[in-house]
Amino acid sequence: MKSCDEIRELVGAWGDGELSQAEAEAVRLHVEGCSACAEERRQLDKLNVSIKSVLASQQPIAFEPFWRGLERRISEKRSWPAGWLDRLRMPLGRPNLAWGIPALIGLALVLYSLGVWKEQTPRNNFAAVESIDAYGRNVALLRENETRTTVIWLYQNQEGDNETSGETSDQSPAF
Amino acid sequence: MKLPGKLRTRALLFSFLGILTAAYLGAAETASQAVKIKIDTILASNQNGEFDSRLKPLEKQLKLLKYKSYRLLKEESQNVPSQGNGSFQIPGGRTLIVSPQDFRDQQIALKVRLQGSEKPLLDTTLKLQNKGNFILGGPPHEGGVLVLAIWATVQ
Repeated sequence: MKSCDEIRELVGAWGDGELSQAEAEAVRLHVEGCSACAEERRQLDKLNVSIKSVLASQQPIAFEPFWRGLERRISEKRSWPAGWLDRLRMPLGRPNLAWGIPALIGLALVLYSLGVWKEQTPRNNFAAVESIDAYGRNVALLRENETRTTVIWLYQNQEGDNETSGETSDQSPAF
Repeated sequence: MKLPGKLRTRALLFSFLGILTAAYLGAAETASQAVKIKIDTILASNQNGEFDSRLKPLEKQLKLLKYKSYRLLKEESQNVPSQGNGSFQIPGGRTLIVSPQDFRDQQIALKVRLQGSEKPLLDTTLKLQNKGNFILGGPPHEGGVLVLAIWATVQ
C-alpha cells in the first residue's frame, strides 16, 4: 500500500503512460478512493491541456529565410577591413581569452612592481637641487630640457684655487 | 552550479592578486628601503673623438658637455640603507659620499659630498627621481675632467 506522497510522485508518469500495468492499476485504485490525489491528477491534466493548447497555437517556424540569409552571408565577398575585424573579434569572443586579458594585465603589474622591467631613466629625470656648497669654488648648475638632465659642474675660480693635485681645470663650465 | 563556482574562485583569485599588488606598491613607497647607488666615473677630454660604447645609455646626456672624448674609467654600485653612507673611491684620491635621506612620491632625497684628497670640494642636497640620474663634473684628471653620473634606484 503506497502513501499519498508516493502516489502523487507517480501521477504524472501514470498520465503519460509510463508506468507498468501493475503500478498503473495501483495508482488508479488509490486516486479513485482519495480526493486529494484525485485533485492532484485534475491539476496535472489541466496543465497538460494548457501546454498542448499553447503548442497548437504556435506558427510553424519559417527556417527558409534563415537558411537563405546564411547562404548569402557565406557567399558574399567581404571587404578586407571587415575580414580583419572578424578575425580579431573571433578570438576575443572566446571565454578563456576574456580571463586571459585581465590575467596578463595583472601579471604585467606584478612584473613591473618587482622591477623586472628594464631599468631606464624616468621621463622626468630632473634633479631638484636644494643646496650646493662648493667651499669657495665656482659651481654651475645646468638643467637641460630635452634630456631632462641636471648637471652640477665645478670649475676653477679666479684665484686658480684648485685641488692640491696640481692639475688645472677649465675656467668656465663645460656646457 | 559548476560554472558560478569556478567564476567565484577566479574572481577571488584576481581580487587577491590585485590586493597583493596594491599592498606591495604601497609598501614600496612607504617603507624605509635601501637605495642602490651607481656611480659611472667618466674621463672627458678633447684628446681624441673616442666615445666609449659602454656609455651608450648616457650618450645624449654627455653630449650636453663640450668635450670630444668620453671614456668610462670605473663603474661601481652599492646598496646604501636610508640615512646610511655609501663611499665611492674616485680617481685622483677623491671620495664621493652619497647618503639617501628619504624616499617619497617616487623621489629620493640624497646628500652628496665630494671630498678631495685634503679638503671637501662639494656638498649638495637634492631630490632625484627613482631610477634617475644626475651629472656631477669638473674635477681635473689626466688632461681632462672627471664626470660622475650618479644613479639612484630604490630596492
